[in-house]
Amino acid sequence: MPHTPTVFLIDDDQAVRDAIGLLLQASGLAVETFASAADFLEAGVVQRPGCLVLDVRMPGLSGLDLQKQLRAQGYRIPIIFMTGHGDVPMAIRAMKAGAFDFIEKPFQGQILLARIREALDLDSRERRRQACRDSAAARMALLSPREREVLERVAEGQYNKVIAAELGISLSTVEIHRKRVMEKLKAESLSDLIRLLALLNAQS
Amino acid sequence: MVGAQDRKPRARERDPEPAANRWRPSQLHPATLSLLFVLAGLLWVLCVDPLLARWLDAAAQAPKPWPSALAITLGGMLLYWLLQARATSARQTQDLRLAEFIEQITDVAFIKDRQSRYRLLNAAGARLACRPLAECLNRDDLALFPPEMAHRLLEEDRQVLAGGALLSCEHTFVLQGDTRTFLSTKWPCRNAGGQIIGILGIARDITARKQVEERSERARADLESRVRERTAQLSAINQDLERQIAARIQAEIALRESEERFRQLTEHIQEVFWVHGIGEERTLYISPAYEAVWGRPIHGLHERPLDWLESIHPDDRARVQAAHVAKQCSGHFDEEYRIVRPDGAIRWIWDRGFPIRDDAGHVYRIAGLAEDITRRKLAEDQLRRQQVELARMARLSLAVELASSLAHELNQPLAAIVAYTQACLALLRQDHADPRVLTGPLDEVVNQGMRAGEIIRHLRELVQKHPAAQSALDLNALIRSVVHYAQLELRQAGVVLNLELDESLPAVLADDIQIQLAVLYVLRNAIEALNEKHGDPRVLTVRTARMDPERVLATVHDTGRGFSQEVEAHLFQPFFTTKPGGMGLGLSVSRSIVEAQNGQLWASANPEGGASFHFSLPVHPDT
Repeated sequence: MPHTPTVFLIDDDQAVRDAIGLLLQASGLAVETFASAADFLEAGVVQRPGCLVLDVRMPGLSGLDLQKQLRAQGYRIPIIFMTGHGDVPMAIRAMKAGAFDFIEKPFQGQILLARIREALDLDSRERRRQACRDSAAARMALLSPREREVLERVAEGQYNKVIAAELGISLSTVEIHRKRVMEKLKAESLSDLIRLLALLNAQS
Repeated sequence: MVGAQDRKPRARERDPEPAANRWRPSQLHPATLSLLFVLAGLLWVLCVDPLLARWLDAAAQAPKPWPSALAITLGGMLLYWLLQARATSARQTQDLRLAEFIEQITDVAFIKDRQSRYRLLNAAGARLACRPLAECLNRDDLALFPPEMAHRLLEEDRQVLAGGALLSCEHTFVLQGDTRTFLSTKWPCRNAGGQIIGILGIARDITARKQVEERSERARADLESRVRERTAQLSAINQDLERQIAARIQAEIALRESEERFRQLTEHIQEVFWVHGIGEERTLYISPAYEAVWGRPIHGLHERPLDWLESIHPDDRARVQAAHVAKQCSGHFDEEYRIVRPDGAIRWIWDRGFPIRDDAGHVYRIAGLAEDITRRKLAEDQLRRQQVELARMARLSLAVELASSLAHELNQPLAAIVAYTQACLALLRQDHADPRVLTGPLDEVVNQGMRAGEIIRHLRELVQKHPAAQSALDLNALIRSVVHYAQLELRQAGVVLNLELDESLPAVLADDIQIQLAVLYVLRNAIEALNEKHGDPRVLTVRTARMDPERVLATVHDTGRGFSQEVEAHLFQPFFTTKPGGMGLGLSVSRSIVEAQNGQLWASANPEGGASFHFSLPVHPDT
């Protein structure tokens, strides 16, 4: 059963955690709160759709440490950092490491909510694109080596005649391969084919 | 008269002999005596008798003279014969005695002929030659004595025969292994014609005398050398004495100079030199500097010995008086006190006294030095003020540093307040019917507001400028409150804090703000040390315990990287730091704070790694 997008809130200060949690809930968002980065990792929720709202400074594993760890493991969940006053160098580091945003405490609830919504949107878009990539990759895997060779040359814009000469096969054989590739990849046209390849290349 | 001719050379031979042999000097020759008798008789018979007879009896017939003269002549002949016989007998007796004497004497006596053959030798001579007398006669020295000796003797003989004079000399010979010395005298033997026909000689063994002489000579030489040595010694001693005397004179001069110098010193140094007599209970001497330092005349002190005590500042007087009484026994005195000069100025005096003992070892005087240390005291006060100021500055800079952290800490409740309030607003906007739902968040808003106020109050306390005031202080409570300030830093550094506080700890005597600051610095130092360390565990332990009856001990123990020996030497130096961006003031300020509170602060390396900082503080006297 697919999860609803959730805001994962991590702050070691209980009052801050409760207050923001309450605010987000009152704004109609699904919220799960954690007292530390370690608690969050242990909960096993990291693959679920949503976004992270993190305090930068925390005892034990800091917000930046968690960000680094998640990225290293390939998780792309958007992260919004919260910080106290004057942590500009830390903010820069966080943004360079790919944070979604960085907001300073205390903050307007509207701003936080707006940023959270954007982050959730990004996450769902990312997830959709990821799903497309996954299916494209799955279809790609169905191609035979010869069909893959033909596809590469078609994508480069070569004529069938040239492809046949290069691969040392007949023109009609090239045409059969090309047709099979279109079928296997469920591509309607040459432009569909190109888009699919671009999607896959973007992933790699 | 042949005998007389014979005797003549004999008499000459005897000449050298001692006078004892001429034992009848008045003796007249028998012939002379007999002739005189005959002449006198004839004179009487021929001249005197006829005259006498005529004078006495003119009538008497003069007797015939011839028979009388014949009788007298015969009587003279008889007399001569008698006298001659007697003289011969006497001479024979004398010759015998002489021969016997020659035989008996221990000296060697001899007569040699011109060929140096012994013609006569006494027993001593034969003994010397170790032969019977018969074997010696008619032999020369070569046959009787060792060659070397014989040649010398023959050479002498030749000298005597050639020179015809007496020769006397000493010889030393080796005979039968003995070294013997002889004094020999030789002279020529002449016949009636004065021709030398031989040699007469006598030799005396003077070995013993020689030895005695040598011994005495040696003894004399020895004595002389000893005398010389002794003289040398004496002269050396004399020189030494002279030198000593010179040195003593010098020393005396030097002493006089040194006394002079001492007098000059005591009269010109700025310190007051004094001598106090215990028995007399008065000041025996005080240098003129007294007048300059105390601003009082010396004669006043001599007139009223307690003038000195009266000059002491009332606050110090009781203490100094007690020390003054104590010094009468111990002889020692070491006090710092203030004096009030007649012009009202206050001077700080450092006064020290040392015992002077008599031969029996009893302290009978005390000599001392009183120094005006006002300037030094003022400098010390200045330094102390500077230290306090430095501590305050450090405290301010700490506050500035903490401000950023505290701002973050303040942001937490503020963020919570804002979020709670907006949550409430959101709930209200959703037309939530039940406003009681809002009570929980609103209570939290209040709590967070209070929390923010508390943080600000702590901040104000921290930077507030307190005068140094010592009071009874609960060190455990102080540490807890300081830990509260440091909570944020502890959290950010991911440090686990253990408090092991001895709940039975007595109160300490210290200024709480100052000690808080010192504890905070030490804690921060430990937290920073842990922050530099990568990986766990990051544990900070704060302990308190009673160190001894007078002191309590607090220890801040960390599991950081510790410090090297080089760093250890500089740990408490101002502006020494191993941290980028650190001021290097924290520990040095902490140490001066703790020391100003009569405590000590030091560091040690933990055996298992990390460092410990310890500080001690005095227990409050009322506990």
